[in-house]
Amino acid sequence: MNTTALKDLLYRLADDQLILGHRNSEWNGLGPILEEDIAFSSMAQDKLGHSLQLYTLLHNLGEAEPDTVAFTRNAPQFHCTQLVELPIGDYAFSLIRHFLYDHAELLRFQLLATSSYEPLAQVARKLKGELKYHVLHANTWVKQLGTSTEEAIEMLQTALNETLPYALGLFEKTEHEEAIIADGIFPGEDELKAQWLESISKVLAQTNLELPDLSTVAPVYGGRHGEHTEHLQPLLDEMAEVFRLDPTADW
Amino acid sequence: MLTSLDPRITRLHLPDAPPSIEPKEAFDQFETYEAFHQKKEGTAYTYVGPVHAPTADVAFLFAKEQYSRRFPCTGMWVAPTRAISLTRYVGDTESVYDFVTEQLPAQTGAEPDESVQQAEAYARGEEDYAIFHLKKRGKAHVHVGMVRAASPDEALLQAKAVFGEQRPVVNVWVVRWADVLTSDDEDRDIWSTTPEKKYRDAIAYKVQDRIDRFKQEQQ
Repeated sequence: MNTTALKDLLYRLADDQLILGHRNSEWNGLGPILEEDIAFSSMAQDKLGHSLQLYTLLHNLGEAEPDTVAFTRNAPQFHCTQLVELPIGDYAFSLIRHFLYDHAELLRFQLLATSSYEPLAQVARKLKGELKYHVLHANTWVKQLGTSTEEAIEMLQTALNETLPYALGLFEKTEHEEAIIADGIFPGEDELKAQWLESISKVLAQTNLELPDLSTVAPVYGGRHGEHTEHLQPLLDEMAEVFRLDPTADW
Repeated sequence: MLTSLDPRITRLHLPDAPPSIEPKEAFDQFETYEAFHQKKEGTAYTYVGPVHAPTADVAFLFAKEQYSRRFPCTGMWVAPTRAISLTRYVGDTESVYDFVTEQLPAQTGAEPDESVQQAEAYARGEEDYAIFHLKKRGKAHVHVGMVRAASPDEALLQAKAVFGEQRPVVNVWVVRWADVLTSDDEDRDIWSTTPEKKYRDAIAYKVQDRIDRFKQEQQ
């Protein structure tokens, strides 16, 4: 098995989960209503937990400790897509990002459940229940708000139009794509993207929202290769503030 | 502009003084739903708490997050609070059924078999009702079973006929089954969350030594 390609994939998965988990945790205490605040924060915490499991797989492959990997790298060393690093914006944006991202996340881990790299397949199978709930949460809100008032529909539609180019960045390929497919680690970004499109289209069809024609949307690439927006480094500085003051801090 | 020690708050660019809070329109108030959880396969559903939500679907999402994270959970029901009929409360050694005095109309003729009875009941407009008992004040209502009836009042009479011998019964809830949203068997796996979650449990926060130290300092 091509270990370099495997690590590249694991870093992409883990960094996406860590950064979006941290971003979504910023809603903690600020959510639109108490119950949603709790739900959204809990899902953010799930994502951090998922990143820990993936960084642990990397550690078992010879990479540094999960905390070191999470807290000591700078933006150019991150492999996350730019979608996950964008600021939380308004709730319409955070909800649409959650919807677009979590559909891809659920499908990705479903595909990974039969990965030839058994430790990853095991993690993927363990996460299934949580990811299923995350998608149920996203779908319920998108259907509820996407069929409600004109204002809500317009806000979601604007968020959808603006987020889609970044969401397509989730399927950016790296130079290891062919090796990953050939080794049976993952069936590939094209396969995932096709499933994702079908999956989000089914939900959007039950709302007043319209999915823009994807052939007219230019994907935002770069994140998988360390090119990030100006938003990632401040996020990392804030996330790692305590760790950088005192790497042995425990609380 | 409001600056806070919490950078997230500063980023919101809030004014220094909070805006005056306008009373909300009735339209803006979500109704409440009551959630019931099942802690283990095969055990009775038990009342666990309320959530605010615009619809039953959303109430289910919220109930799942609020009430299934800290304890094992294998299923959940939610019902709008307004759909729950309740009896008066009686003392911890009594049964509220003793105060339900109305009688069911007497059966006439030979009893047909159960499937025929059932079909006839539904044809008469009867429906299933879930019955919950509170055994002791301060505990939670527990699902004891189902009855068929044409109204919540009649369901209570039926419940007395079926469960009336149980004691103590401090309070009874009657809920039309059609008003209850239940978790899907297909989605059973949403209850199995990743096991490495000790950090979520209160037990992971070891504060006893800090409390002891604090107490010593106080002396």
